[in-house]
Amino acid sequence: MVKDKATVVVVGGGATGVGILRDLSMRGIDALLIEKLDMVNGASSRYHGLLHSGARYAVRDQEAAKECIEENTILRRIGKSCVEAISGMFVQVEGDDPDFVDPWVKGCAESGIKTRELSKEEAWSLEPNLSRKLVRAFEVPDGAIDGFRMSWQNVQSAVRYGGRYKTYTELIKINIESGAVKSITVRDNVTKEEYDIECEILVNAAGPWAGKVAQMAGLDCSVSPSKGTLIAFNQRISNRVVNRLRKPSNGDIFVPHGSITILGTSSITIPDPEDTSTSWEEVEELMKTGEGVFEHLRDYRILRVFAGSRPLYVPKGADGGRNASRGFVTLDHEKEDGLKGMMTICGGKFTTYRLMAEKFCDVLAPKLGNTAKCRTAEEDLVPAVSEADKKAARQYFPSYGVNLAATRLGTEKFPEVVKTLKENPETREVLCECENVTMAEVMRIAQEPTSHSVADVRRRTRLGMGTCQGNYCAIRSAAIANKLFKDKLEGCGDSLSDMKNFLQARWKGITPVMAGKTLREAEMTRGMYEVLFNVNGGRR
Amino acid sequence: MELEERARDSADNCIACTSCVAVCPVTKANPDYRGPKLVGPAHNRMHFSDENDYEDSLKLCSNCKNCDITCPNGVSVATLNMLERAKYYKAHPEKHTQADQMLSHNFQMADMLKSIPFGRTCANIGMSIGEAMGMMGAMGIAPQRKSPRFATKYFREMYKEIKQPEGLTKEVLFFPGCFIDTNDPEVGVAFVKVMNANGYKVLMDDRFKCCGSPLVVGGYLDEARSHADNNVAIINEYAAKNIPVIACCTSCSLMLKAEYTELFAQEEMAQAAKNVYDAFEFLTILAEKGELKKVHVSSDKKFIYHAPCHLRAQGMGMPAVDLLKEIGVNIDSADAGCCGMSGSYGFHKENYETSMKIGSELFDKINASGAHKVVCDCGTCREQIKHGTNAKTTHPIQVLAKAYEQ
Ligand SMILES: Cc1cc2nc3c(=O)[nH]c(=O)nc-3n(C[C@H](O)[C@H](O)[C@H](O)COP(=O)(O)OP(=O)(O)OC[C@H]3O[C@@H](n4cnc5c(N)ncnc54)[C@H](O)[C@@H]3O)c2cc1C
Ligand code: SF4
Ligand code: SF4
Repeated sequence: MVKDKATVVVVGGGATGVGILRDLSMRGIDALLIEKLDMVNGASSRYHGLLHSGARYAVRDQEAAKECIEENTILRRIGKSCVEAISGMFVQVEGDDPDFVDPWVKGCAESGIKTRELSKEEAWSLEPNLSRKLVRAFEVPDGAIDGFRMSWQNVQSAVRYGGRYKTYTELIKINIESGAVKSITVRDNVTKEEYDIECEILVNAAGPWAGKVAQMAGLDCSVSPSKGTLIAFNQRISNRVVNRLRKPSNGDIFVPHGSITILGTSSITIPDPEDTSTSWEEVEELMKTGEGVFEHLRDYRILRVFAGSRPLYVPKGADGGRNASRGFVTLDHEKEDGLKGMMTICGGKFTTYRLMAEKFCDVLAPKLGNTAKCRTAEEDLVPAVSEADKKAARQYFPSYGVNLAATRLGTEKFPEVVKTLKENPETREVLCECENVTMAEVMRIAQEPTSHSVADVRRRTRLGMGTCQGNYCAIRSAAIANKLFKDKLEGCGDSLSDMKNFLQARWKGITPVMAGKTLREAEMTRGMYEVLFNVNGGRR
Repeated sequence: MELEERARDSADNCIACTSCVAVCPVTKANPDYRGPKLVGPAHNRMHFSDENDYEDSLKLCSNCKNCDITCPNGVSVATLNMLERAKYYKAHPEKHTQADQMLSHNFQMADMLKSIPFGRTCANIGMSIGEAMGMMGAMGIAPQRKSPRFATKYFREMYKEIKQPEGLTKEVLFFPGCFIDTNDPEVGVAFVKVMNANGYKVLMDDRFKCCGSPLVVGGYLDEARSHADNNVAIINEYAAKNIPVIACCTSCSLMLKAEYTELFAQEEMAQAAKNVYDAFEFLTILAEKGELKKVHVSSDKKFIYHAPCHLRAQGMGMPAVDLLKEIGVNIDSADAGCCGMSGSYGFHKENYETSMKIGSELFDKINASGAHKVVCDCGTCREQIKHGTNAKTTHPIQVLAKAYEQ
């Protein structure tokens, strides 16, 4: 049954998909994005969050390096609410190949990436936790970018231009008639309803799933999902991105993100992008390398481990893994395979998502007779919350919470939350004490049409993503949020199972690193939920 | 310095168990305080987000250290609070009140008065007049309180007049601390008596400065650092000569033994800490070696003991009460938590109510005990007890010195 219609349907709510949705919408093209689960379900949140300066690619791939620095500059400008405009360091420690430095410095210069050598003392004073085995250090314009916020802000920007989106809507079938895509069949993963959406052009932006989507149209598109594992630490170990100055390999980069630091990553080719498993061995490998940069690394508390899959495009005949191109391809299936109305975009990096969308839409738009120019670099993703609004909010917000909430919530929802806090003092209670999230914010996000579980609320608020990994906020927010879910949709609102699922998902990331301080916290969780609350019920 | 020993990094150990919140006396007495867990370790992770933001209720923490005592994971919660408070005042020096200035720098006042003829007598009269006229309140000091009076002769002056027995071969260096030196010198005199009786000569070193505890609480961290550097150098000098440093004030000894290292993370501070003892800790070590002078008290006059929080924070039990019991003193611990004073905390006008509320459990126990005197190692705790109960107070070293006199 046809229930909806759009000129362009974009499949995949990752960086690539949301970038295309925004670009198309700004060009005035009617576009609808569908995402099978919650927005940013794939690589775009299960990633490192490094806003590359390009320095990492300066030796091997100057094309990529140049793209990175250009996009880095643009995103710092248009993405103030999702980019942490910090800088980065490349550090060489004892034992690293000294001959790598000169070509690297040269490569950076040729790619337009500014580097500045720091004396060891300067480096240590900027980042006191750096290893005493430091040999050389350079400053580069690396930054950090929050995948959840960036993606949602692209969506919000697109919506202002008429763009539409549906989460929990999975493409399950591509309906082709006489050599052209006519419609797609989707399943609503909340209600389980299946229906058709008509479209003129189907865009496959399913990242590491792009191969599977292509298969639905009987096409062969060689995407090799390459899994990378990342470790999240409980605090900021450095205030800058810290890279190892050597030939890129595993465990080279530390990225501070808000209250945490992420160390990564590895690169293993896997058959199924759904595989986000991690193991102690992978953690060990990362820790061993990471210790080279921060010698006390093992004393820091690990919060969790997670993994994501890169959508690496492997041209026929080449091999995958770290050597596969980090560049991207636009496949026009009309040209390549004789199928009208379908295009695939694949590969690339989060940092270059905007440029990818631009180049892709430059091919797509003319097919629809649209000759508008790309404007995505000209306009901020979202307007910033005004200083006056923030100032007014301070008296109701927990300290250190205003800026964070303002960038998460944006100009529309932020004042609403402030109003709730003001009028209803009860909602000032901090439900998540580790990440400073108030009851009012949880309630506001729970009311969003896209929120169906505490996990959905988590991704937009950072609830449960701090020190205690959901220990306290799970029980507090499950009840409050589910009351609101219940009003919204039948079948939602079972707070006990939602709470258990939420904790179980947190647990997944903790299990491989269950030692030391992390183990103590886990025992605390177990004591509370299994012993005190007896959530799993007694044995008969 | 190991990472684990640095207060800032100890925040990483917090498992959010909330035990500290359950024992924090201020949280219990004043709902405006958001509690040690949130203000300490939890906020420690969030400071990055806004340089200009501060937790308003941080000013309510008294640095009593009950949070640290309770924390099962070694988080230096109170020190995290003090570091944060220092950061705030560094950025906003203008926010320091007259009361902060005065209460943190009592040692300066004391030194100044000493140099003026009749300075102390005049100051004491001035204080009485000031109190009568309600001037204290105007300065931000709790008008209900009587400020401790300056002794007409400080301990450092009295010390010079004490004739210690000839031929004592063992030596200890006394760290009197401001309260004993300038307000309650008799405690120092009793200490010398006790040490002499045990074969120790008591040395003094005029280069010692205030331990810095009031400076830390007031947010004057740089000044505290200079005091710490000064004192630590002296302690290590004596350590090299195998002369231990002893304090009778448990806040001073906590500062020298633990807080310097927590706050400033310097190797030499950790080194110095090993050479510092609380008086009764030292005497207990002597007793264990069988070297303590034997004495037995026959009077069954009843005492009640209040364990200062800063003694409990040293994690060595209650050596004074144990030792006094051992020699036959009829003494029991009140076991009533914090007295509410926390050094200069309770002197602040805005903390007065909280301070008295916290102390009420202790006051009730003392009043109901029928004891003739309250024994306590901490000078400001004794002030609070006198204020809250009208009971007579004494330092345990004075009780022991009396016993030796019999
Ligand atoms: C470990 C790791 C670290 C990385 N670090 C960085 C970094 O630091 N900096 C950087 O710039 N880049 C980094 N990357 C690369 C970057 O994350 C990816 O290139 C980028 O996020 C890919 O975005 P995407 O939208 O193409 O794919 P995804 O984000 O995976 O989005 C694809 C989406 O499609 C959805 N989908 C799949 N099938 C269907 C269907 N049938 N119906 C509907 N929806 C569907 C999925 O649920 C998913 O949300 C990293 C990648 C990994 C794996
Ligand atoms: S030092 Fe005392 S007042 Fe401050 S947080 Fe700890 S227990 Fe509470
Ligand atoms: S007692 Fe220690 S571990 Fe528990 S919440 Fe307080 S600081 Fe954290």
